[in-house]
Amino acid sequence: MSENENTFQTHDVRILEVKDLTPREKLFTLRFTDPEVSRGFKYKPGQFVIVDIRGFGEFPISICSTPTREGYFQLCVRKAGRMTRYMHELKEGDIIGIRGPYGNGFPMDMMEGSNLVLVAGGLGMAPLRSVLWYALDSGKYEHIYLFYGTKSYEDILFRDEITHLLKHGEAMNCTVKLAYEVESPSCIYLEKGYAPKVCKGVVTDLFRGEEFDITNTYALICGPPVMYKFVIKELLDRRLSPGRIYMTLERRMRCGVGKCGHCIVGTSTSIKYVCKDGPVFTYWDALSTRGLI
Amino acid sequence: MRYVKLPNENFEEFFNSLKNWGNIYAPTKQGKIYSFRKVETLSEVSLDYNRTMLPPKKFFIKPRDEMLKLKDNKWEECIEVEKIVLFGVHSCDIHGLQILDKVYLEEPVDPYYKKRRENSIIVGISCMPDEYCFCKSLGTDFAMSGFDLFLHELPDGWLVRVGSVKGHEIAWANEELFEEITEEDLKNFRAFEEKRAKAFKKKLNKEGLADMLDLAYDSPVWKKYEKICLGCGNCNMVCPTCRCYEVCDRWINAYEAVRERRYDSCFMASHGLVAGGHNFRPTRLDRFRHRYYCKNYFDPEAGFNCVGCGRCDEFCPAKIEHVKVLDEVREALE
Repeated sequence: MSENENTFQTHDVRILEVKDLTPREKLFTLRFTDPEVSRGFKYKPGQFVIVDIRGFGEFPISICSTPTREGYFQLCVRKAGRMTRYMHELKEGDIIGIRGPYGNGFPMDMMEGSNLVLVAGGLGMAPLRSVLWYALDSGKYEHIYLFYGTKSYEDILFRDEITHLLKHGEAMNCTVKLAYEVESPSCIYLEKGYAPKVCKGVVTDLFRGEEFDITNTYALICGPPVMYKFVIKELLDRRLSPGRIYMTLERRMRCGVGKCGHCIVGTSTSIKYVCKDGPVFTYWDALSTRGLI
Repeated sequence: MRYVKLPNENFEEFFNSLKNWGNIYAPTKQGKIYSFRKVETLSEVSLDYNRTMLPPKKFFIKPRDEMLKLKDNKWEECIEVEKIVLFGVHSCDIHGLQILDKVYLEEPVDPYYKKRRENSIIVGISCMPDEYCFCKSLGTDFAMSGFDLFLHELPDGWLVRVGSVKGHEIAWANEELFEEITEEDLKNFRAFEEKRAKAFKKKLNKEGLADMLDLAYDSPVWKKYEKICLGCGNCNMVCPTCRCYEVCDRWINAYEAVRERRYDSCFMASHGLVAGGHNFRPTRLDRFRHRYYCKNYFDPEAGFNCVGCGRCDEFCPAKIEHVKVLDEVREALE
């Protein structure tokens, strides 16, 4: 982006592909129409962009593709409100605006050589998919665990990828485990042969029987607000340091750059902007800044 | 700091000369309140005003502000810039603007704020505190920077502090109106400041304020005020450092739309609401406490977010007093 450009200007992207992941979520594959902008668009797992549907509004959304695969990027969008409803009506070939990437992202370089425990709940899979593929593509991490909890089999995002890793992940030092709360007839596809890796229950049930070297493990969590408490308790029970627990958080955001004030959290001793100081925080940040989780 | 003296007889001529630098906006009396309005003559200006309802932030971040204009599915920047001279700004408001500068001029720069700030001249003026002012407790009662010229009242004129090159240029252009200051003037200046320092009725106990508030997260005082507060958001609108804004796209006709931002308030239930219906500050208690935490956060570089102007007290329809709330929270903790 050029120096003198307006901070709030958005760049054209073309929708290359729209894929239904579940009845509620769609995966959008996007590419900047300007090749120079496309080349200059560098992001880290855990960062987000602001999507601009011109004339209708803007909304923040995390990037769910990995920077190791260049030329395009992907957003997983759940139909949850006014803006995402517009987004879901878009078709391949349509042009929308993007600005960003914003936020700090996960410290992927710092975590090299360690075990990664990814804990995802529902839509929380989106930003963690970026980490998952980044870790698998780069091959610089010891072992990758993915614990993924969803409502039902039908709600599993990126189902093809996840079930593929469920079957063949061990060859890539990757253990995938799934938990679903509601049983449905299609669960039979999973349980056949993967019983210990797939269970009915919540995401914390998946920790059972797993041992990590707490001196060489980082946990990365993303999910609905209620999930953090339980997952963090599980991790702390295993004496994983609060500095090794990373969470990515959601807030109302309008600007993405620390101006509009909506994402301010904290008290008189510590104030954080989720958009620019986060959205990735350690559990230690949450302990020292009230109201983060 | 450079000091010069502006004798009373030259004051009007000096005021009129400011028009060469832009349109003059100054505090004027509007019914029961004061407001920064465009003025043509000195007689319209209320030099001894206590506070305007809206702080000078309204010139830099407008209550409704067009950011981008949609043409052929492309956003075009719309920045209308007017050269302005803000005449008669109190030191608390100058501090308020400096806090906004920290936010809006930090990378990535807000282009609208920056352009307007660059095209403005700030002329400060000395004041006497009324029953709402507590700027002295916060150290914002005297501005050392953030203005171009600052006028201090003297019995026979004004002691003018020159705060910037631009200010110097203004004084230079009107060289014949100014005099060198004398010992007598400095004595009068000091006497005025001393008198002013003694005139403060309201005091904020700043000692360990940030820590005290953090410890009082579950204080019963918040619960008490949750019931008194109407949640109207007046305090946000009139606060010189409140800066939350909401963005929305508005169609002007079938072909053109504008992206607009307007003041938002953390007292609105929608402030912490996200898509899907989760609200991060669902109750009025959360929102009331949030404002106090935001205002009293001590940034080592910028200080408190509150400048003690007293606007939120004066314009609160429920008569909630900022200092009193903080005192009660402290009391409940001890």
